[in-house]
Amino acid sequence: MNRRLTRIDELKRDIPPARDLWPAIAAAIEAEKARAAAPGETRRRAAWLPAAGMAAAVALVAFGVLIGRISTQQVVTTPVVQTPTSSSPEMMPAAYRKQRDALIVEVQAKLSAMPEIERKKVTASLATLRRSIDEIEAALGHDPANALLQELFVSSCQEEMRALTAVRDSGSQET
Amino acid sequence: MKADTVVNFDVALIERARRGDAKAFERLYRDHVGRVHGLCLRMTRNPDLAADCVQDAFIKAWKALPKFEARASFSTWLHRIAVNTVLEKRRGPANAEIAVEDPTVHEEPVMSFDTPVEEEELEAAIESLPQGARDALVLCGLYGYEHSEAASMLGIAVGTCKAQLHRARGLLRDRIERGVR
Repeated sequence: MNRRLTRIDELKRDIPPARDLWPAIAAAIEAEKARAAAPGETRRRAAWLPAAGMAAAVALVAFGVLIGRISTQQVVTTPVVQTPTSSSPEMMPAAYRKQRDALIVEVQAKLSAMPEIERKKVTASLATLRRSIDEIEAALGHDPANALLQELFVSSCQEEMRALTAVRDSGSQET
Repeated sequence: MKADTVVNFDVALIERARRGDAKAFERLYRDHVGRVHGLCLRMTRNPDLAADCVQDAFIKAWKALPKFEARASFSTWLHRIAVNTVLEKRRGPANAEIAVEDPTVHEEPVMSFDTPVEEEELEAAIESLPQGARDALVLCGLYGYEHSEAASMLGIAVGTCKAQLHRARGLLRDRIERGVR
């Protein structure tokens, strides 16, 4: 039944909508939150990338000490590393893994014959390089399609192989 | 006393919502949706469009919460967003309405009817008003906004708002008298 009115301001001001609009609003809010979170994630990811790069750079500088002892005419054989199809370490090419494992055994033998100071330096550099690779791998686990990470992963693996090869060959190249 | 409690409660909810608490914002939505929808419905005269406006207005409000000043009235702020949303939707070609010419400013007569009318009849008369006159009547006559506030929300001059309200009341009186007698 309609009320009798004499004034406009007696009209009801609250008129609920026929349907609940909240689910659509909530969905839009969630989308907005996700959108707002995305750049932060990128920033967080981007934050460690320079660190990883720096770690690799530190490793290279340390290796410079070692490489300085190697003949400049030395040709370092760079193993061919295929681009991994997945970030998972298990999915890394088997040939690469086998080659790397064999190289590590040779490097261990070489390291044990090195003076302690030099051994520590080289070991630390190799560990830094490995940590960088592990970090990149972990990031790829969250973002497998990231082309930049894939590229960085491959180049870091190549870097490690170059470093391991340089350590292995260091004694034999000395004059 | 009760009003203070409500205001303080709103402030707490706003603060939580600002920090990203969607539940707090849902509570604000539940508390305010009726008025916002009433406003949009009377301005648009279209239930579907009004619902769209309400939805958009609350989403905009969520995004704009960091800019909201706690000293201001949340309800007024929300209504302003809703009015803006309605105006934006109207600018779309599908919702274009012939603009009402700005009448000259008149003194406002006191609104009263000799014969009480039914709610539905009054709503129908408001709905039949030209857009500009209806907006002014809804904001000033029904929701109690000052001319300056309503004019600011509608993006018109205060004098124009007064004139539109005067026009709305005259038209409303004519239509209701014609309908009643």
